[in-house]
Amino acid sequence: MINLVLLKTTVKKNWVLLFIFFAVLTFYMTIMLAMYDPHDTEAIMSMLELFPEDLMKAMGFSGLVTTLTGYLASWLYGLLMLGFPMVYCIILANRLVVKMVDNTSFAFLLSTPNSRSRIIVTQGVYALISLLVLFAALFGVGVMVSSIMFQDALDIGAFFKLNVTTMLVNMVVMMICFFFSCLFNEVKRSAAFGAGIPIAFLLMHMLGGVSPDAEILKRISIYGFYDPMEVVHSGTVMGANLAYSVCIVLLFAGSILVFNRKRLLL
Amino acid sequence: MIEVHDVTLAYPSGKGVFDLQFAIEQGVAMGYLGPNGAGKTTTIRALLGYMRPNKGICTIAGLDCMQDAPDIQKRIGYIPGEISFIDGMHGDEFLRFMFDMREMKDDRLQKQLLDMFDLDPRGNIRKFSKGMKQKLGIVTAFMHDPEVLILDEPTSGLDPLMQQLFVELILENKKRGKTILMSSHSFKEVESTCDHVIIIKDGRIINQSDVQTLKKSERRGYVIQTDSVKSAVQLFAASGFEASAVSDDTLEVFVTGDHVDQFVKTAANITVRSIDVTSQSLEDIFMQFYARKEQ
Repeated sequence: MINLVLLKTTVKKNWVLLFIFFAVLTFYMTIMLAMYDPHDTEAIMSMLELFPEDLMKAMGFSGLVTTLTGYLASWLYGLLMLGFPMVYCIILANRLVVKMVDNTSFAFLLSTPNSRSRIIVTQGVYALISLLVLFAALFGVGVMVSSIMFQDALDIGAFFKLNVTTMLVNMVVMMICFFFSCLFNEVKRSAAFGAGIPIAFLLMHMLGGVSPDAEILKRISIYGFYDPMEVVHSGTVMGANLAYSVCIVLLFAGSILVFNRKRLLL
Repeated sequence: MIEVHDVTLAYPSGKGVFDLQFAIEQGVAMGYLGPNGAGKTTTIRALLGYMRPNKGICTIAGLDCMQDAPDIQKRIGYIPGEISFIDGMHGDEFLRFMFDMREMKDDRLQKQLLDMFDLDPRGNIRKFSKGMKQKLGIVTAFMHDPEVLILDEPTSGLDPLMQQLFVELILENKKRGKTILMSSHSFKEVESTCDHVIIIKDGRIINQSDVQTLKKSERRGYVIQTDSVKSAVQLFAASGFEASAVSDDTLEVFVTGDHVDQFVKTAANITVRSIDVTSQSLEDIFMQFYARKEQ
């Protein structure tokens, strides 16, 4: 169902992009870990109090930080691990399909004995695999760096679950971008919808964190099931993971369907 | 080999192609002529399965162009009208990629074609000249020795020498029984390679004929510079040509394809200081063709 020749070429053309985002997020993670003081969570809390409370809530920073894992879940996975990968998703999804349709180079892919579905599945699989690689690598970095700085302070099981759910929610974002990349013939439109909708969801997530009145906004966004503190503390993530997996599958199937049916201006 | 049956493919703008009906037998080279925006590329999009027609069906070798696109692509060589390669690729890398995507084993023909067109595919395609890109497109389209060739304005960007080489390549493929559909907006380009031509205008086929008939009906203007324009005009008029003075020392004579010999013999009677052929627009040719047929 996938074409390995195309997959190889796609990896070759896009690994640098993946690496840049990995490097940036590794940098942030390391800085965040370096700022953590296991003996004095009070210091962090008092620093947090310097900022307006609502702003902190919008950023997803929780007041209940007592462990290193909770600290990471709140400080890093509350917003940064959604925002940065979102930029990656928007750029990559546009590169994988619509950019080549817009500049007509896609005609060469289709002039080989490969069906549209096969090409789209290959590109979509790369998009998902690249996020898997990104989060696997970040998980590795997190475990490694925290074991060097604070031995045994990280709850590896909880941190793993946190990365799985965060990866899945980012895969939903990727598939939203990918869907629009398959739907439109122009980068302009694909980028407008593929970026606009996820950004709107992220804003809803941030606003929803500010006050209980606005919480409905968060609930109806794709981040409704995403609560990093909950993942770390209670550990019931199966429902959220399942919901996100269903979204990913549906969006992927929808992408293939619209691409198969549409007229290509090649 | 190629069949287009009652195909209508309309764009939201109202343009497109309407009620197209034609067939190309195996081993035939068909010229597909029409002015820009006539619907040549749209027809090709339907044949390649890039666009589903609103109505009608296209088949190649009996296979449905939409449903069986991957199977059909094994048999087709295609040169896009506006060639755009995959970003950031090198020429040799691109050829290798297309070779692998086609699951090819034998690269002898590819090498032959590179030699023939004197193309060194190394280096970033973005830095290639237009002619080099066109050559790369030609090599890509011919390297798997396809049964059917669909060529959308294939000689654009090539210098005259390379155009001649391309004509040879087409003739050789025709000899080997390949079916060819070649679109162009100039009659000159297809007359040396094709047996038949289809003429399309505003999305409709307005004529389908063999090249010889069209050639005969083609009317050319010859601009002659001479000493005494007046007598020259009279002379040509007496021989049955349409002639008129353009300036003090030049006149233009209109000659149809089957009267060239007579024209040359008549011109031998005057002092010709220079002679030039004015190229005719495609539409002029169609119009004359029509006028002639109605007579």
